[in-house]
Amino acid sequence: MTTDDTVAASIVHAIDEIVANPGEGKALLEDYLARHGPGARARGMVLEQVLVSPPMWLDDQSNTLVFRWSLAGAGAWWQMRFVGGNDPDVAAWWADVDARAVSRRRFFASEPTDIERLCDV
Amino acid sequence: MYKLTRLVTLADPANLWALADEIHTLATAHCAYRQLVAPTLAGSHFGGDLLAHFAFDDAVQRSDFDAALAPLFATPAVASVDGVAYQSGLGGWSDPGLANGVYRVLLLSVDEGTDPAIVARFEAETRMMPHYIPAIRNWQLSRADEAIGARRWTHVWEQEYADAGGLMGPYMMHPYHWARIDRWFDPECPDRIVDARLCHSFCAMEASVL
Repeated sequence: MTTDDTVAASIVHAIDEIVANPGEGKALLEDYLARHGPGARARGMVLEQVLVSPPMWLDDQSNTLVFRWSLAGAGAWWQMRFVGGNDPDVAAWWADVDARAVSRRRFFASEPTDIERLCDV
Repeated sequence: MYKLTRLVTLADPANLWALADEIHTLATAHCAYRQLVAPTLAGSHFGGDLLAHFAFDDAVQRSDFDAALAPLFATPAVASVDGVAYQSGLGGWSDPGLANGVYRVLLLSVDEGTDPAIVARFEAETRMMPHYIPAIRNWQLSRADEAIGARRWTHVWEQEYADAGGLMGPYMMHPYHWARIDRWFDPECPDRIVDARLCHSFCAMEASVL
């Protein structure tokens, strides 16, 4: 196993991809940032990027919203997971999102250069 | 193999060894093919104070033993018991002679009504953990036939490690765990199918019981 410092240096990305219900993209994005953002930051997540596709607000079709967060390694990931996974407000938030979305994905990734270090456990 | 696992939380942990001796004697009298009765190690979560695990050649032996065991748990000394009865599911053994290692069991409950194809996918991905995480020396994933305790436990995920470091380090920290498998457990992920209440219990073992 490598040192904790080395593992912590490997940034982990948490990516939320939400396909909003038609016409709800802008409101959902604003709610995401206002209601979910502060708690996610408190759990150690750093919001790196927000993308909207297509780059315009659709009123009769779905916008896809992408939020890319970073975490300082697997240890920080588990800290985020334990706190968020046991918070009923977080679960309630995602239930609300799912009611306002056609589909949603959350996945975790790293840069290719970090794979070897992340797997060296 | 017909197996029975009980995770026993005591009202007074001072009674642990006396109860362990009683259980061990009872299991021997009922011809348990394999048995492991040991105090759980620090880091267990809803895993009880005492982990008791048994294997029998047939279902009748297991049922008889279960019936004989029940009175030992129906006393004020025992605060609660989580457990499962099950037949051995698919497993793998990279170190069948593993001695003085650590046995770990996870009891989990998949939501009722989950699409069987999704459950099969969850199981298949879980069974690949030892492929990516060699610290898992021996393992078995089984479906529960009977469950008692805090949840209607549906699955039993057993592993054996050379030491607790294998569980706390490689098992927990490998990306196949947190970036792949955990989405089935994570309330923030839409793929979640497993109830947040889990029994994560581990103890020292003299020899492999899988």
